[in-house]
Amino acid sequence: MGQGSQLMGTDRSDQPAIPLTGRTATVVALSLGVAVVLGDAGVVTLALPEILRDFGAQVWGVAWVLISFNLVLALVAVPAARLCVRGDPAVATAGGVIGFAAATTVCAVARSLGVLIAARAAQAAGGALVIVGSLELLVATTGVERAGVRRWAVAGVAGAALGPVIGGLLTSAFSWRAIFVVQIPIVLLALPAAIALRGRVVQRRRPTPDTLPDRPHLLANLALALLSAALTAALFLLVLLLVDGWSRSPAVAAVAVTAVPVAALAAGPVFRGMRAGTRSEAVAGSVLIAGGLTGLALLPGAQLAWTLAPQVLIGLGLGLSVDSLTAAALRDRIPRAIHGGWTIAARHAGVVVGLAILTPIFTADLRHAQTPAEEAIARLVLDAPLPASTKLDLAEQLGRRLSAERGRVPDLRPAFKALRVPATQAHAVASLENDLEDQLKRAATRAFRTSFLVAAGLALLALGPALALRDRSRS
Amino acid sequence: MSRLSLPLIAVVLVGAVLGVQVAAGGGRYVPVSPANPCTPVSVPPIPAQLEPLAEQIVLLGLDSAACQLGISRERLVLALAESRTPNPRESAALKAGLVDAVDMLARQGRLPKVSQLLPQALDQSNLPGIAKTIIEAIPDSVVDNLLPTAPLLRRTIDELDINRLLHELNDPRQLNSVLQSAILQAALSQILGRLHP
Repeated sequence: MGQGSQLMGTDRSDQPAIPLTGRTATVVALSLGVAVVLGDAGVVTLALPEILRDFGAQVWGVAWVLISFNLVLALVAVPAARLCVRGDPAVATAGGVIGFAAATTVCAVARSLGVLIAARAAQAAGGALVIVGSLELLVATTGVERAGVRRWAVAGVAGAALGPVIGGLLTSAFSWRAIFVVQIPIVLLALPAAIALRGRVVQRRRPTPDTLPDRPHLLANLALALLSAALTAALFLLVLLLVDGWSRSPAVAAVAVTAVPVAALAAGPVFRGMRAGTRSEAVAGSVLIAGGLTGLALLPGAQLAWTLAPQVLIGLGLGLSVDSLTAAALRDRIPRAIHGGWTIAARHAGVVVGLAILTPIFTADLRHAQTPAEEAIARLVLDAPLPASTKLDLAEQLGRRLSAERGRVPDLRPAFKALRVPATQAHAVASLENDLEDQLKRAATRAFRTSFLVAAGLALLALGPALALRDRSRS
Repeated sequence: MSRLSLPLIAVVLVGAVLGVQVAAGGGRYVPVSPANPCTPVSVPPIPAQLEPLAEQIVLLGLDSAACQLGISRERLVLALAESRTPNPRESAALKAGLVDAVDMLARQGRLPKVSQLLPQALDQSNLPGIAKTIIEAIPDSVVDNLLPTAPLLRRTIDELDINRLLHELNDPRQLNSVLQSAILQAALSQILGRLHP
């Protein structure tokens, strides 16, 4: 242990003890607040196709619903942490909760994409205060530094992993607006908890420059940023592939992508017993995430089952690496809130970089996929065992569908519904419809391949800082 | 436990998943590619009816035209469907392709005789009843002698207005009218040619 840990003395926080009464409720309320805010980074992922349709926008425009939140969170996390350190973290957290709830209300009623994007940015600003303030409040409430930090990190991982799933289910059951409506009462639970802790958190004595460097943990934060960029692909691209490429409902996609959070939560019990250390966990996590993303790039079919094993790899990697790297970034570093802010800034800057790199790649690939898809459709229609007159009718209907949905994966079912054929041709028409749907799925799956491979490359890049980490010590 | 154990387990898990996926066709799950239009294709038996015969000639003709133009049959069809107005090069390639298709079917003995196609053609035509009765009374041998299929089809293709044909693709009645007009014109020319060599 270095001098920093000597300053800390023991693992116990030097905050005044919070009475046991209500401690559990406070921890739960603050953890839920952290989970909701960090879950918000990806909660709208499954709703993007519906938002895209509601506002008649393009993929790149809708991606800003995700980008604005993550960008502002990345930029504001450290300044918000400094605010917490200078003042009372409880007051900052309470202010953040109110701001986040207000901005979330605007998101729920937004009538234009511009308003939604602006409100998402405001959400992130309030959310940053909730996250970094809650770190201090959780440590103060639990009375044990390591337990408080771990709760904060686990709440963040759970929120980030479960966010898209819950968002998908709410979108499917109600609408994308329900995602924001549901968040408001949950995050407001943290308000009384924060108010109750006002004046109870005493800032720790800042170390002198010659005894403890107050610099952020560069390697851990860099690895977090690169893995977050890669994980963006796992959730954002996979969801778009399932909903837009394979025409699955948001509910089905939400259930399908639960493999990631389930595996992430299982990673601890499965691997932590090995006590491999921070570096091994970070390296193994990076390998698993890169492997899972490569698996998504090499899907052999459009069945959901094929996505499960790659998702499990990604989830295990997420569970192993993110809270391990977060703990490494915070371990023995004070002020804690500022280092927590750096991890949030790194993770969300990674998400923004991931979206900025991957969105143009896959939108361009989706556009380029149009030609091979059209040619495959033309070939199957020309060679179909149907009379020429039926083929001409069908070609006319298909042409209309392809023109109407230029730039998106078209829904060909209306073309077949509009077709009037005698019963003797019904089987051949149904078979052709299945074949054409299969060709579209092939084209869409192929269009996402490069993006998944680039994301796998980002996860592999994280191996660099992960390998340079020192186990259980500061870099 | 060695610090290498966990990364090694990760590598093994990733290898297993990727191995199964690649073995199951991962990486080859892509849309079907257009066939090479210059590669000869096997022609299925053609029923002695106008529509299947016309369709087969069009399919083979598209292959031949696409081969001449150096693009795939599918790309040619999509380009024609989009513009509906072929450029002179495409128009010439289409006509030449259709003639090639007739020649190929003739060489393979796949063309039905005109007498076999005549009842259906008369049934669909707008000729007055008396004319249909007279034509039906002509013996098959005379019809086939006066109107051998391959030359009739070549003349029909020659008579075809490709631009108009493409514009009428969505209207079956107009399309039939264009085709019938071309066939009738070709038949008359051929009969007159036989009568006045």
